[in-house]
Amino acid sequence: MRIKHLSKRVHQHIILSDIDFEVNTGNIIGIVGRNGAGKTTLLRTMVGILDPTEGDVLIGEESIFQNPKLKEEIIFVPDSSQALKAYSTKEIVTLYKNIYPRFDVEYFHDLMNRFSLPNVKRIGNYSKGMKALFSLVVAFSTRAKYILLDEPTDGLDVIVKKRILKILVEEVAENDMAVIISSHRLDELEFMANDIVMIKEGKVDSHYELDALKTQYKKAQVAFQDHMPDAVKKEVNIINQTGRVYTIILERKNIQGESIVQEHNPILYEELPISLEDLFIAKLGGEDIVS
Amino acid sequence: MFHKGLWYQNYKQTKMVVWILLVLFVIHLPFQTILLLESWRSHVKHMNEHFPGQQVEFHAFEIYNLYFQGIFPFIVMFGIIFLACLLIGVERNTRRMDFTFSLPFSRKDMFLSKWLYGMLLIFVFHIVNFFISYFTFMQSEFSSELGKVTLIEIFYGPLIGYLLVFTFALFIGTITGEMISQIALTFIFGIFPIGVMILVQSLIEVHFGYSRFWIENLQWVENITIFNFVLNHQGNEFLDLLYPLIGIALFTILSIFLYERNKIEHNGEFLIFKQLNPIFLVGITICFALLGGIIISSLAPWNATTLRIIAYWIGVGIFLLFSYLITRRLLRMNIMIKNK
Repeated sequence: MRIKHLSKRVHQHIILSDIDFEVNTGNIIGIVGRNGAGKTTLLRTMVGILDPTEGDVLIGEESIFQNPKLKEEIIFVPDSSQALKAYSTKEIVTLYKNIYPRFDVEYFHDLMNRFSLPNVKRIGNYSKGMKALFSLVVAFSTRAKYILLDEPTDGLDVIVKKRILKILVEEVAENDMAVIISSHRLDELEFMANDIVMIKEGKVDSHYELDALKTQYKKAQVAFQDHMPDAVKKEVNIINQTGRVYTIILERKNIQGESIVQEHNPILYEELPISLEDLFIAKLGGEDIVS
Repeated sequence: MFHKGLWYQNYKQTKMVVWILLVLFVIHLPFQTILLLESWRSHVKHMNEHFPGQQVEFHAFEIYNLYFQGIFPFIVMFGIIFLACLLIGVERNTRRMDFTFSLPFSRKDMFLSKWLYGMLLIFVFHIVNFFISYFTFMQSEFSSELGKVTLIEIFYGPLIGYLLVFTFALFIGTITGEMISQIALTFIFGIFPIGVMILVQSLIEVHFGYSRFWIENLQWVENITIFNFVLNHQGNEFLDLLYPLIGIALFTILSIFLYERNKIEHNGEFLIFKQLNPIFLVGITICFALLGGIIISSLAPWNATTLRIIAYWIGVGIFLLFSYLITRRLLRMNIMIKNK
């Protein structure tokens, strides 16, 4: 699946600008960005709910806008199951069977049993966690290649969250498919995503494999005799400060920055393991962490 | 267009109103026929008792009243508009359209499945109920009375009128962003040509009386007024069905064109196509201002010409201001149900 130079304007505001990346099966891709960065708009455009102002979404070499049948391969799971709340479990199966020719009824029941989801007369009667699980069960049962999830674990308790993350990883490992997740729960993405697309003000700020991304930066705790000298401040991203102890992030290739830090004789210099959240703050800015 | 999934979704979405519509048709046609025949019977009995030997005569308008006049066609029409709103408007108010648009179908097929679904429902409901009603009539002692009316008047005319209203309401749904504006604009534009004619006539009448400037009711204006074909159907030739048939074709083609260019991001707002905003702002404001003129001038004494003219323009001024402010607000609103 290829997202090709996608741009979207709403009410004269540019929401997405020249987004371009590829999704290959076997991957879990995290779409990361601050609130209002355009993550949901991107997902909605990727599945053809919104028309792009420019650009295209291709499966193989064909546009999903020209040939909507290709969308049998893409399922979008929104952050709300409002649309189908009046349906019963049985009706959902009928509906999906008629829409997605490869909908696997047996697998659906299998997953329903595995997650102890009861059959109900109205999906709306499920608890919030059950609704989220159910949406995933339905999505995976379609046997689509690309599953787009918008904030799948938003507002769920830890146990449900763990189960959801587990099923995601298992599905991608066992089947020839890719999951694209928009989330600002960076700790969760860190646990499962192997590819990260960072979006800043509607543009792809960076697109890395997570491990590669981590090797490009280093995180350290430093302290100086006095407060941090301005010369050092210019070279590093400060993500935290407690008294005279600073937590900084530094690009590994910034050798000059590294030497400036050392030149000012820090009384403490200790490298720390770097997390996705650190990278998020370093790349997308500010101390006002989004989570 | 014939994707089972889309039809299933349409039915699920409109189940309730479909049954209501069926009940309305049953009351409108078979039930009213039985009542009419019973009232004729009691009239005949009454006449025979009190005025023996006198010929009892019935009028064609009583049959018209049964098939296309009176309150029921209006209620059925309301049901049909509501059906159209459930198919498009409500989808826009809730997140359902996101779901529909993410499905592997073209937008043209999505629209046509809605259109065909509604058209078939109305067609089947009307034909079945009309047949029962007509059959009941034919079997009664009053069957000869049916000779006073034609099938075009009592069957084809109303049927095509209903189909036109449904197509028109769906068409309005392709330009409006949510259900309330869809209902409101369907009603406004359903009577628009005649409405504008009345506004202009009143403007002329207040200033010049019924003088040489006066314009009579124009037939062509009535011919392009949608609701006219349900509420005031006239004509008994096939040619008279041409206007509504052209209307159905035209609105269907236009709707497909617009639905394919759907700007779903404007769902919940008054209009989907923002380029229409200035036209609506000016149009609605002027129409309501003129309506305000009529309302306020009607308070002035009928023979005080100058006073009526002054009252008219005071009405125009007041309504102009408020309708401008309200319309501007309306065009900016967003009614979207976002609960999880």
